[in-house]
Amino acid sequence: MWSLSHIANEIHTWLSNTFNPTWTQIIEMVLAGVAVIGLFAALGLVLVLMERRVAAWIQIRLGPNRVGPFGLLQSMADTLKLIVKEGLTPDGADKVMFNVAPFIAMIVAMLLMAPIAFAKDFQLWDLNIGVLFVTAISSIMVISILMAGWSSNNKYSLMGAMRSGAQIVSYELSAGLSIMTIVVLTGSLQVSDIIHSQANGWWIFKGHVPVWIAFITFIIAVTAETNRAPFDLAEAESELTAGFHTEYSGMKFALFFLAEYINVFIVCAIGATLFLGGWMPLHFGSGNAFNHAMDYIPSSIWFFGKTFLLIFLIMWFRWTFPRLRIDQLLNLEWKYLLPISMVNLLVTTAMAILGWHF
Amino acid sequence: MMNGSTILFYLLAALTVSCGVLSISTRHIFRAAIYLLFSLIGVAGLYFWLAYEFIAAVQIVVYVGGIVVLIIFSIFLTQQAGEKLPRQRLDRKIWATLATFCGFALTLLQVWQHEFPPVIPQAPVTVRGIGEKMMSTEAGGYALPFEIISMLLLAAMVGCIVIALRSKPETK
Amino acid sequence: MFIVKYIKDVWGAIASLATGMKRTLYYFTHHKEIITQEYPDNRDSLVMAERFKGEVVMPHDEKNEHRCTGCTACELACPNGTIKVITKFDISPEGKKKKAIDKLVYHLELCTMCNLCVEACPSDAIKMAQTFEHSVYDRKQLTKILNHPGSKIMEGVE
Repeated sequence: MWSLSHIANEIHTWLSNTFNPTWTQIIEMVLAGVAVIGLFAALGLVLVLMERRVAAWIQIRLGPNRVGPFGLLQSMADTLKLIVKEGLTPDGADKVMFNVAPFIAMIVAMLLMAPIAFAKDFQLWDLNIGVLFVTAISSIMVISILMAGWSSNNKYSLMGAMRSGAQIVSYELSAGLSIMTIVVLTGSLQVSDIIHSQANGWWIFKGHVPVWIAFITFIIAVTAETNRAPFDLAEAESELTAGFHTEYSGMKFALFFLAEYINVFIVCAIGATLFLGGWMPLHFGSGNAFNHAMDYIPSSIWFFGKTFLLIFLIMWFRWTFPRLRIDQLLNLEWKYLLPISMVNLLVTTAMAILGWHF
Repeated sequence: MMNGSTILFYLLAALTVSCGVLSISTRHIFRAAIYLLFSLIGVAGLYFWLAYEFIAAVQIVVYVGGIVVLIIFSIFLTQQAGEKLPRQRLDRKIWATLATFCGFALTLLQVWQHEFPPVIPQAPVTVRGIGEKMMSTEAGGYALPFEIISMLLLAAMVGCIVIALRSKPETK
Repeated sequence: MFIVKYIKDVWGAIASLATGMKRTLYYFTHHKEIITQEYPDNRDSLVMAERFKGEVVMPHDEKNEHRCTGCTACELACPNGTIKVITKFDISPEGKKKKAIDKLVYHLELCTMCNLCVEACPSDAIKMAQTFEHSVYDRKQLTKILNHPGSKIMEGVE
């Protein structure tokens, strides 16, 4: 058995046999931190390459294919370039805020990793408000963008930050409401409970129409919350140069860039957990041959497979749709997504009480 | 005796207090808002430390995601970037300090006089428990305050809509 | 009714978004038909589109003869002073003076490839070539003289 939880348990047993409890705790915290940072780096490299490849294939191009076999080392080369670049701080900038902002973005992304279940029994912190925790922490994300935009002392940055603020604050509502749909069906905010409730079928199958609507609103809302096209008004390179990170260069820019991709990964992981059963294999009903066959695929592969499917969906959006105007963006949220998701939440509640789901 | 938990408490408390002091002493208004934000995050950290995760998350959602973002927005719309606020007058500073110390003394007095009952270790507060208390109409339930507060919020929302409504152009 | 229109709006939006996504998914899954060129690698077999315009050239035949009469129509047609025609007078065998070009100076660095000179030319003396590797180390090298040294006008071109 080479599952992730097995490895984690082995390490824990070895550490507790070798050191006293305090040191075990500290070493485990350090290990978890290192693992998260390693995951960040790996995700950054993979997702940037994936984005460029998906973009290329959708636009009938080849994409990066020069550095390494099939261009696999392209993002490595990009990272190297960003590391050796000078990290400029503009003269008129608020220097403290300017330099702190990218780290806030990274810290928020790191905190969001805590309640995500990567595999069966493999989770950093299974706290009882898991989903609410994610909603709460992701609302700090906007602060780093606002800080970056204001402290750059650049009108494009400021405009990008303001747009982004308006956008994130509004779309949080419908993202939260569509998360609530699943919470209503499960009766728990805890991530492990939500996953276990999908042992006899994922919510997207069990919850039929209301959950489909919630899924669509969730995907739209999180695309907006992560500032990705077609909702990338905060960056809007054709209007605002690069929006809130116009003045950033080198590694400080790279942190924003990385944080964007990490956030995409996290929201897709949350989406996969809520609607597609997290690490839960594809099950129909309980205890038939098909379910047993599915159980042979490791749970981490299920989780990452679903997450990357959703990431592909979001990339697919990015390279298909043109950017919205700010009034269209706010109309979409306040006149369409919010009323729809509120009515949908009511319908789901009725469905949960009357037991109309499978 | 300093164990890890106590150290963590003092770190969080130091973050909260120092950011609070910085937020009133800085002359950059945007920095003041950001320090306030960190102070509020420190309070949320204390709730996490107490294992009241729900309250901590609500603290972050309401204060950080809502109120501080609102404050920052109003700064964006009214202030020029990079400008310092004018220095405060001395008499104002003195009165403010005095008022703060009075409040502090009052609180401290209360804390000292209050007899804290020893805490019985309980099952962790779950969201289900909070929800049931919130909707309970029996003794110790919060259904009435909950409803009254929701009425207040409704009134506030109606007020917002009335203010935001564009008044019809007067016919001449 | 308001609700019906609202639902129709939402449905129409979803349908139109799905149309776009179907198109891009088709491209994504049929990535063999690549429209871009792997340029430095396929330099030998590179085929430029017919409408591509790289620079103005003056074709000469094997007897080193061109078709330019020196009428300066191209110089007048050029919107940004790219072409400069320097004329001279040839003495024909009959002893008559005849206008001809000494140099047709072409500033590639100013040219926008608008094709107006080619269209203005009454005797089809110049045309657009498809070369595009124009980078040089010195700007002076971009100023070209289009007629070859010692060339003269073709018989029968007036």
